[in-house]
Amino acid sequence: MLTQLVVWLNALAGGIAGVALAPVAWLPGWLSATAIAVATGIAMLYVFKHTSNQSAIQRTRNRIRANLLALSLFKDDLRVGLRCQGELLAGAVRLLTLSFVPMLVMLAPMCLLLGQLSLWYQARPLAVGEEAVVTLHLANRDEQPIPEVRLQEAPGIALGAGPVRVPGKHLICWNIVAQEPGIHHLTFGVGEQTVTKQLAVGDGFLPTSLKRPGWNLTEVLLHPHETPFPAESPVQSIEVDFPERLSWTSGSRSWLAYWFLVSMAAGFAARPLLNVKI
Amino acid sequence: MTEPASSPRVNRRAALKGAAAVAGAGTLAAASYWIGSVNRVSRSLGKKVIVIGIDGMDPRLCRSMMAAGQLPNMTKMAAAGGFSSLGTSIPPQSPVAWANFINGAGPGSHGIFDFIHRHPHEQCAPFFSAAETLPGEGFLELGEHQLQLDFWPFNHHPPETVLRRQGVPFWDYLDAQKITSVFYDLPSNYPPSPSQYGHHRCISGMGTPDMLGTYGTYQYFSEDSPSAGLDEGGGRRSRLKFEGDSARASLVGPDNSLLKNPTPITVDFEVHRDRASNAALLEVQGQKIVLKPGQWSRWTRLDFALSTPFPIPTQHAGGICRFLLQEVAPNFRLYVTPINVDPSHPAVPVSEPASFIEDVSRDLGLFYTTGFQEDHKARSNGVFNDDEFRRQATLVLEERLNLFDYAVQNYEDGLLFFYFSSSDLQSHMFWWNPEENPKHPSRSTPEALSRYQYVKDLYRRLDGIIGDIHDRYGGKATVFVMSDHGFANFGRQFNVNSWLRDFGYLNPRECTSILTDVDWSRTRAYGLGINGLYLNLKGRERDGVVEPGEEQERLTKQLIARLRAVRDFNGEKVIRNVYRASEIYSGNATALAPDLIIGYARGYRASWETCLGELTPDVLLDNTAAWSADHCADALEVPGILCCNKPLASSDPSLVDIAPSILNEFGLPTPATMTGRSLFQT
Repeated sequence: MLTQLVVWLNALAGGIAGVALAPVAWLPGWLSATAIAVATGIAMLYVFKHTSNQSAIQRTRNRIRANLLALSLFKDDLRVGLRCQGELLAGAVRLLTLSFVPMLVMLAPMCLLLGQLSLWYQARPLAVGEEAVVTLHLANRDEQPIPEVRLQEAPGIALGAGPVRVPGKHLICWNIVAQEPGIHHLTFGVGEQTVTKQLAVGDGFLPTSLKRPGWNLTEVLLHPHETPFPAESPVQSIEVDFPERLSWTSGSRSWLAYWFLVSMAAGFAARPLLNVKI
Repeated sequence: MTEPASSPRVNRRAALKGAAAVAGAGTLAAASYWIGSVNRVSRSLGKKVIVIGIDGMDPRLCRSMMAAGQLPNMTKMAAAGGFSSLGTSIPPQSPVAWANFINGAGPGSHGIFDFIHRHPHEQCAPFFSAAETLPGEGFLELGEHQLQLDFWPFNHHPPETVLRRQGVPFWDYLDAQKITSVFYDLPSNYPPSPSQYGHHRCISGMGTPDMLGTYGTYQYFSEDSPSAGLDEGGGRRSRLKFEGDSARASLVGPDNSLLKNPTPITVDFEVHRDRASNAALLEVQGQKIVLKPGQWSRWTRLDFALSTPFPIPTQHAGGICRFLLQEVAPNFRLYVTPINVDPSHPAVPVSEPASFIEDVSRDLGLFYTTGFQEDHKARSNGVFNDDEFRRQATLVLEERLNLFDYAVQNYEDGLLFFYFSSSDLQSHMFWWNPEENPKHPSRSTPEALSRYQYVKDLYRRLDGIIGDIHDRYGGKATVFVMSDHGFANFGRQFNVNSWLRDFGYLNPRECTSILTDVDWSRTRAYGLGINGLYLNLKGRERDGVVEPGEEQERLTKQLIARLRAVRDFNGEKVIRNVYRASEIYSGNATALAPDLIIGYARGYRASWETCLGELTPDVLLDNTAAWSADHCADALEVPGILCCNKPLASSDPSLVDIAPSILNEFGLPTPATMTGRSLFQT
């Protein structure tokens, strides 16, 4: 049920992101990553303002400030010092508690947003002439024979080595070579059925779906772009090992950290403008 | 309406102070950068000198191909400037020759006399002459680990690899004058020598080790390898045992030096084969590789984790390798390149500055970093056939050409040096001069002819590069195309130690190796390396018996006379000349020089066993190895080439003349450390 809900939300987020994130395709990576992080930071701050108890936060911060002052004024008095430290700790816990509701409100949209951003920054599309390994995971059903699986020829993609069937791991791998830029579809014949997987080829930024997932909540959250395979499908997932994108700001290894740092910095910087207490 | 008391006020004074601080910091940063840039800017004043080093390019073959119109670009450059044989080093071995080029002086200045040296105080324990790894001193024991901490209060000395080349490299003079020099794959410069003023950049070439610390150790996995595995010169074979169609294996990496008893770090991988589709899947550290027979993988990153004592976090060293699937069934065969240092995150410094190779890798991706890139050992040991070796050598050449493009794109002025190794290592395998040797040492005539064609094809390809450089820079730069030596077939091999044994200079008669069962008290001379012969001199060697002075002189004369007189079964002269080190070497770095250097006649070379001191029953043997051509003969037999787009004044140029000529082009005088002279001055 929850997985189905996430699938619907992903579809909604995909529709919005399709329009909102379209400029990523033609902006330099550092610029789009920065702009998105700044916009997200400010949006998070705005949501925080309207979903948190601002006056309670202000009161708690005032108490923390008062206790800090008391600590410096009565540093010779051990009892006062200990009491102030205890109250500081309690104040910090209270601030965290007051942040709980806004965090809860923002959790779902942020997860959806990060899923959409990962399409752009987690990997880069294949370059023309570049090879990649495609892995199709079959369902582990001991009572049923492994179906015959074929990867069909398609324009823009050449088949390289394979398939290599690994029955012990319920997977089949192929090597493919990208030949034309664009969003292609790999088509697999699985017994009587046909399943597809998207393949991004080109320079620059394209939505790049690493995996068409199975019916699994985590996988559906992490790979929101393609419709997941139903639970009863003989195919559990299909993934392509797209190459890493190398960049400090919008690269595979660091885009998330960059997004987090910049959005936090933007949120803090915008605090006085929006008059928000954190 | 009053503003709430808690809302922030914009304090004008604070804002002004902040703005002033930011502006001040910005100005300071800009000024520092500008001062730094001024200091870094090249003082070559637009002067360009380009040196293309082509290892092993032979003047005889060049001349015959030029005459046949097959090297049009070299012919064009020769017409504009000149073409000549280039005197090589004694002995004509690459590390020695390139060190001559680097110092502008002979081996007496740089102290490299052979691929292999020995420390006399250890009698004859061999080490690589260009670099040596010195053991560490002191450690802290923690369980099964031992840590070497190089800070106070421990002050341990971790093991260190040091460059053994001595003297002053010519780029130091350019560096001191703030003239930029950039070297790609420079031989005899590992670890890379530092740049004092920051105007010299270099990626180390020949002599750079793989992650195992060797000159290149491939790994080969097959179903017919010995079950216990086999270490063979330059490689390691392991048996693959399939269960169903899957097998597990381990790639052997560097030793974990943090252990008391260092053991190699391994990376496990899985192999799955599909006989029906004739393909295989390799799974290595989360990376999947699908290959069909004859197909090479891309470079694959390997992460070697060095276990550490708690609570020190695990250390990591990165390497890269490529896989070649040779056969799926019935005998699964998989070749893995030597594990190279990852140029994007080098575990050991392979460039100067250390970040230089990372910058290159950021643009070009991953590439070979070991000194010997063409895997001649795999060919010699039968892991590769000729086609596989040629394909691998072509992959290397394509990588080099990418690097060459990068080098040219990023070149503005000053000195640019670029090195190609393919001509040397392909010639070792495929060279044949049918006019000189009607019969190839180990191949049928049609096969030898087809392989020799590979060498000619390679020369033509290199000629294209020369043409490209000449077209781009012909009128703007001084361009040198040079090689360190030429080539000759190697049909017969001479075992120096067996010869010494037969004449009673080396004992006992049943000795099999000078490293294991020689009786030093009855041994007066021994051979080590390819061309070196050492006297067992009292006071110098640990177990020396030959008295310095009269006895030494008498023995030396006797050895020279007898060596010069050696004849093969057909009466051919085996040794063209024997040189006394004391007569041909001068300088401050002669301590490790052999006493005699043997210059073989064309067609002959030291036997394979001689190099590491082994003996064979026969003194002269056929060479049936795939390595059927060589250059470790007499220096006069195998000169290199020099082609320049500027007229040469010298009629007999030599390797040591290149460095003074380059300095001369930048208006610098020939330093006293050099024995060469400018090629452009009469």
